[in-house]
Amino acid sequence: MKKTLAIAGALLATSIGTTPAFADYPERPITMIVAYTAGGGTDIAARTLVPYIEEELGGATITVLNRPGAGGEIGFTALSQAKPDGYTIGFINTPNLLSIPIARNARYSLDSFAPVADIIYDPGAFSVRPDSGITNLEELVAFAKENPGAVTYGTTGIGSDDHLAALRFERLTGVKFEHIPFSGNVDVRAAVLGGHIMMASMNVSETVPDAEEGTLVLLGQMAEKRWDGAPDVPTFQEQGFDVIMGSDRGIAAPAGTPEEILTTLSEAIGRAVQNPEFQEAAKKQDLALSYLDSEAFRAHLEQLDATLHTLWDEEPWVQE
Amino acid sequence: MDLFGPILSAAPQLLDPSVIIAMIVGTAVGIAVGALPGLSATMGIAVLIPLTFSMSPLVALGMIAGIYNGAMYGGSIPAILLRIPGTPAGIATVFDGHEMAKQGRARLALDISLVSSSLGSAVSAIALLFLAPPLAAIALKFSPADYFWLALFGLTTISVLLADNPAKGFLSACLGLAIGMAGIDTLTGTERFTFGTLDLLSGVDIIVLLTGLYAIPPALDLMLGGNAVAKDELSIGGKRESFRWRSLIPVWIRSSFIGLVVGLIPALGGNIAAILAWNEQRRATPEKDKPNYGKGMPEGLAAPECANNADTGATLIPALTLGVPGNAVAAVILGALLVHGLRPGPELFRDNAQTVYGFMLTMLVTAGLMYVVGKIGARAFINVLRLPPRLLGPMILALTTVGVYAVHNSMFEVWMMLGFGLLGFVMERLSVPTAPAVLAVILGPMAEESLRRAFLISRGDPTYLVASPISWVLITLIVVTLLTPVWRSIRARRKPTGEDAAAEA
Repeated sequence: MKKTLAIAGALLATSIGTTPAFADYPERPITMIVAYTAGGGTDIAARTLVPYIEEELGGATITVLNRPGAGGEIGFTALSQAKPDGYTIGFINTPNLLSIPIARNARYSLDSFAPVADIIYDPGAFSVRPDSGITNLEELVAFAKENPGAVTYGTTGIGSDDHLAALRFERLTGVKFEHIPFSGNVDVRAAVLGGHIMMASMNVSETVPDAEEGTLVLLGQMAEKRWDGAPDVPTFQEQGFDVIMGSDRGIAAPAGTPEEILTTLSEAIGRAVQNPEFQEAAKKQDLALSYLDSEAFRAHLEQLDATLHTLWDEEPWVQE
Repeated sequence: MDLFGPILSAAPQLLDPSVIIAMIVGTAVGIAVGALPGLSATMGIAVLIPLTFSMSPLVALGMIAGIYNGAMYGGSIPAILLRIPGTPAGIATVFDGHEMAKQGRARLALDISLVSSSLGSAVSAIALLFLAPPLAAIALKFSPADYFWLALFGLTTISVLLADNPAKGFLSACLGLAIGMAGIDTLTGTERFTFGTLDLLSGVDIIVLLTGLYAIPPALDLMLGGNAVAKDELSIGGKRESFRWRSLIPVWIRSSFIGLVVGLIPALGGNIAAILAWNEQRRATPEKDKPNYGKGMPEGLAAPECANNADTGATLIPALTLGVPGNAVAAVILGALLVHGLRPGPELFRDNAQTVYGFMLTMLVTAGLMYVVGKIGARAFINVLRLPPRLLGPMILALTTVGVYAVHNSMFEVWMMLGFGLLGFVMERLSVPTAPAVLAVILGPMAEESLRRAFLISRGDPTYLVASPISWVLITLIVVTLLTPVWRSIRARRKPTGEDAAAEA
C-alpha cells in the first residue's frame, strides 16, 4: 500500500513538474494524422517531410497515422477531437476541410483547428487535348458559347477544388460546361487523354507532365502568381478571369494547443521545408511547395472559407 | 534488336547482392501478406514505401515486385487449406482448391497453385517487358459506356455461380448490390445508406466485406469442431501424387491470356481475372466434366491462380507507360516510383530506361523466386492443418481483426467485418452462396457510375451506349454467356440426356 502510494506520488510529481515546462517540448512521440490512405499523395508528402521536422525538433519521433475515409472528414474529425497538447498534429487539406462542413453536417469547423503551417499549394488548372485546337481561356469561352453543352469536363468529384473552380469560372463567364465527376485524378486523366471528355480540371502539378509531353495543353493556372514548376503557363488572372482556386496541404493542431508549442512547431516546420534535401525530394515528386507560417495560413484559410460560403450561396454544389 | 538492347543493358544490375536480397525478402513478405486474410499487397507496399526512401531505386522496386507477385500467390494458400481467400483474388481458388484439400490432395493443390501462379506471373512480366508501349494505348480506349458493358459482363458471370439454387444466388447478389450502394454518390455528392454516420460515407471497403464473409465462418466452424480438413485425410495429402501436368498447358495458355487482357483494362483486377478464367475454363471443358467444377477439378484451380498472377505485370503496363494505374496496388507502386524521382509516362522509358527495365526484369525474376520460396514454404503451410481446430479458429479471428484494423485504422470496420462474419455464417448454414455478393459489391457501383457518367457525357442520348466497337464486343459476350445455358437446356430436352453428353464429349 505504502509502495503504491509512493509510486502514485512520484507519478503525480512528474506530471505536475512537466506540465508548464513547454521548453522541453517534445518529450514523447508526436502523432501526425493523415486523412488519406497510406501510399496516397498526401501520405507520401507527409512521410517525406516528417524526418526533416524530426531533425528540427531535436530528434523527436513523429508517427504518421492514416485515418482515411469520407473525403478526409474522418481524419479531420479525429484531429479536431484530439487532446490539444501538441502531441497530435495532422495534415489538413483544402478545399475538403472547408467544403465538407458547408455541404453537410460535420462535427468540426475551421475554428476547431489551430493552423501551424501551410506546406503545399497546388493551383487548379484547365487542360485539353491538343487536337481540340484550343490554346487559351478566351478560345475556350468562345467555343463553349458557340457549341452549348459541347464542353464536357472531368473532376475528381463533387465539391473538389477542380469542381468548385469550374463552377466559379462558369459563373464569371456565363458559359455552361457539362460536369462529369470521376472518383480520382487518375480516371480524369485517362478519360481526357482517351478523348472521352473534352477538358480536365486538374491541379497544375498533376497536369504538367502531360503538358511537357505534349499530350495535353494547359490553358491556365488558378494561382495569384505562376508556380515555379510551370513558369510558362499564364494564370487565369493574367488572362482576365478572376479565378483563384487550388488545394492546400498544411499542418494543423487541435484548437486550444498552447501558443508556445504552436510556435515551436511552426518554426521547426519552416526550417524543415527550407532543407535543401527536402526541397530536392519535393521537386522529384512535383510538390508545389508554398510555405506559410501559422498566421498567414490562418488568414489564407479564413479567406478561402469566405469564398466557399459565397460560392455555396450562389451555386450549391450538392443538391438535396 | 532495339527491343532487346535496353533489357540486356539493364540485366547486370540484378546481380547486385542487395537487389537479390531485396527480391527474396519481398517475395517472402508478399506470400505472407497475401496469406493473411485482411492484409493485401496494396497495404504491404504502402507500408514499405517510407522505408525505401533511403534505398537505391532498384532495391526498392525489386522488393515491391516480389511483394506484388508473392501476395497474388499467397492468397491461394489459406483459400486451399482453410477455405479462406487471403485476398479478393483468391475467391475462385476456393471453389476447386479447397475441395481438393478436402479430398486429401492438399499438397497437389498447393503445387498446382504455385506452378500456375509462377507461370502466370512470368507470362505477364514478359508481356510487360516486350509489349508495354504498344499495349498501353488500349487502356485509354475504354469510354464510360464500355466500362458499363464491362461491369455488366462481369456481373453475368455471377449467373454461373447460381447453379444449384438461382433464387438464393440472386438474393446474395442483390445483397451485394445494396451494400455497394452505401456511401457518398460520386456523381451527385448525395449520401446513401449512411444512416447519418461518418464511417459509412466512403462506403464498405471490399477487404472488410471479403474478410467478414470468408474468414469468419470457417473460423467459427473450426471452433465448433466441424468442417475442417480431417487429419487422416492430411496424411494422404503428404504423399506425392502422380499428376499429368501436361494436361494443364491449355488451361495456362487460356488463363494467362485472360489475366493479361483484364490487367490491361484499368479498374478491373486480379479478382475479376480469376473469376472469368474459372468460368471460361469450365465453359471450355466437355459437357460431361462440367458438373465436376467446384468439386475439386485441378483445372478449376489452375485457371484462376494462373489468371490472377498474369494480371500483375499487365496492370503495370498502363501504369508505367501512361501513368494510369489499373488498380490500387499499381497506384501505390506509382507512388513509390515517384518517391524515387521516376515519373511514369513515355518519358520514363526514355530517361530512366535502366531503372524501369530493371524493375520489369525483377517482375520476371520474382516470378521464378516465388516458385522456390513457395516450394520451401509449402512444407510449413501444410502444418497449419495439423494445428488443433479449436486453436486455429481463434488464431484466424485474431489475425483477421488485426488485419482489418490495419487497413484504415478504424475500429468501426472491425465491428462491421465481424457483423459480415455472422451474416456469412448464417448464409452458409442456409446454403446461400457468398461469392455473388462479393462480386456484386465490386461490379455494381462500377456499372452504375459508368452508366450515369455515359449519360452525362452524351446528355441522355442512349445511342452513346452502342457507339464504340468495344461496346459491341462486350455486348456480344454478354449475350453469348446468357444464352448458352438456355440453348443447351433446350437441346438437352430434345435429345435423351445420355446421348447428348456422349456426342459432346
